[in-house]
Amino acid sequence: MNAVASLLEYPSSYIEKLGNIHRILPWIMAFVVLLPLPHILETTLNEYYVYLANRICIFIMLCVGLNIVKGFCGQVTVGHVGLYAIGAVTSALISLHLGWSFWISLPLGVFAAGLAGVIVGLPSVRLEGAYLALATLGLGESVRIMIAVTPFFGSSTGLISIPSPAIGGFVFDTYRSYYYLVMTAALIGIYLSFSILRSATGRAFMAVREDTIAAAVHGINVTKYKLLAFVISALYAGAAGGLFAHMPPGYIHHNNFTIIEMVTLLLMVVLGGIGHIWGGVIGAIIVTIIYDQTLEFYFYQPLLFGLSMVLIVLFMPRGIGGMIDRYLVTKRFMAIQEGKSNGAS
Amino acid sequence: MGFDYSSLFAFILFGLTIGVVYGIVALGISLIYSGLDIVHFAHGEIYMFGAFFGLVFSNQWGLPYPVAFVLAMLCAAVLGMIIERVFYRRLTKGGGGYTVAGMGMIICGFGMSIVLMNIAFLIWGAGAEPFHVDLGMPFQIGDITLPKSYALTAVFAVTLMTVLHYFLKRTKIGLAIRAVAANKDIAYLMGINVPLMISLIFGLACGLAAGAGVLIGPMQSVQVEMGYLMLMKAFAAAVVGGFGSLPGAIAGGILVGITENLGAAYISPNHKDIYAFLLLILVLMFKPSGLFGVVARVKA
Repeated sequence: MNAVASLLEYPSSYIEKLGNIHRILPWIMAFVVLLPLPHILETTLNEYYVYLANRICIFIMLCVGLNIVKGFCGQVTVGHVGLYAIGAVTSALISLHLGWSFWISLPLGVFAAGLAGVIVGLPSVRLEGAYLALATLGLGESVRIMIAVTPFFGSSTGLISIPSPAIGGFVFDTYRSYYYLVMTAALIGIYLSFSILRSATGRAFMAVREDTIAAAVHGINVTKYKLLAFVISALYAGAAGGLFAHMPPGYIHHNNFTIIEMVTLLLMVVLGGIGHIWGGVIGAIIVTIIYDQTLEFYFYQPLLFGLSMVLIVLFMPRGIGGMIDRYLVTKRFMAIQEGKSNGAS
Repeated sequence: MGFDYSSLFAFILFGLTIGVVYGIVALGISLIYSGLDIVHFAHGEIYMFGAFFGLVFSNQWGLPYPVAFVLAMLCAAVLGMIIERVFYRRLTKGGGGYTVAGMGMIICGFGMSIVLMNIAFLIWGAGAEPFHVDLGMPFQIGDITLPKSYALTAVFAVTLMTVLHYFLKRTKIGLAIRAVAANKDIAYLMGINVPLMISLIFGLACGLAAGAGVLIGPMQSVQVEMGYLMLMKAFAAAVVGGFGSLPGAIAGGILVGITENLGAAYISPNHKDIYAFLLLILVLMFKPSGLFGVVARVKA
């Protein structure tokens, strides 16, 4: 543990220094560090792992979005996959049938998901806790059933040959080129989520989470902020869906949006620690890799995931993010103690 | 071309019987909610387990249907109590409303439902199993043919509800359960064994779900994925009828069943599973306290 800590000491202080110059600098740094990743993966392993990296980036976006409504605002939703599906299908249909470019269809898909987010959020005004969870579960599953039974949405065959995005002559049609797109999107997503957390909106979310009545007393429009949280997370989900739909095979099927995906997503957030942004990112990375590595035990996979979810909730309720927080707090405390003892002697 | 009233009547009748079953599951959800302040997410899976228990007892062991019905209810009740004791008790003891800490219960239930579903999948496989119950020729009412299993469902359901009503309203344990649902701290002070009563509530609700599963088995087939949709429909029924009330849950279930059958018959059979949810959203928007006007408890 100590070795790891001292290893992390230098970069973390460096990042802090960068952040002091301008707060966007660490993110640019991260972008630069992550740029050669597909090259490394392709040379050391193979192209499949680049695809895996793309999936991780998409799941990071979903996780970060889910964390906003769940972690910041305290509203339980398990229908997130429905919003993801809406974003994916809308963007795919627009680019398939109208022939518009990715750069128009993606925002439209995001917009559609945002609208759906309002519908998902509406019950939150009336419903609390577990009832809200069930209502959102119903909505998410309804979306999947709609896609599964309506031929226009690509019922049993799915939607095929969705065009790849392009800037001028550069087409994002390989996993490697697509990686730059999703990685950028994921980084922007994480950055924006930190911005929201820092802003007055983020503080209002947290106030609603801690105590709805107290928040209302302090002049926070609870209804508005609950809806806003749902819409923001829906926008994230829509963006992730759009990016998923246009990913090189260009193929989506309603099996991509089942309850198993929802469990995976939920496990990521729970493992990472609810309400902890970096925790969610770490959770997304870990769970996607585990999911991929255990594909051969297909039958037992949901059992494993469900059981680990139950056990994490029981024995590690704050997840990985909680562990990180505790470590940081302990470190700060130790530093203060040391400073005190030095001052005393 | 005249409107076919007899087929309309048949659809309503089928919806009614299915709806009663939804109502029974909704009753269990309502019971757990009022007793433990949680929504049991794995309730649909308990229902599915109940159906499989019934299938095993009735078809493989060759027990008569009513015996299988009661046995399946007992087994599911025990299963529910074990799950509650081992997993949920730790969380409910932690207490807390539905804040981030209380979210654990929902996630735990969700995970548990996946676990149960996959255990059933590993035991019984993914295919739909037919549930044969030889009841004889279907009834003939006018020009509608009503299979006997539907009539049987109605009879069993009404019996179940009467027994439950009597149990809750007339017996001493029922009184204790209602006291625990009203206020746990004061129930403690009155000398009621609250943890035991909570287990009992859980067992009762799980038994009801299993009963519904055994009832619906002969009408449809029994399969692993049946629980998940049932949870949603039963939840819709509970909300439509108004949380908590026994007649409300049943009436909500019947309404959901009829809506679903009429929608499947006259709008589009493919979207059958969505109608219950549409009804739920409509009720939430226009009359959130449910049709029977029982005020939903707001926990800020």
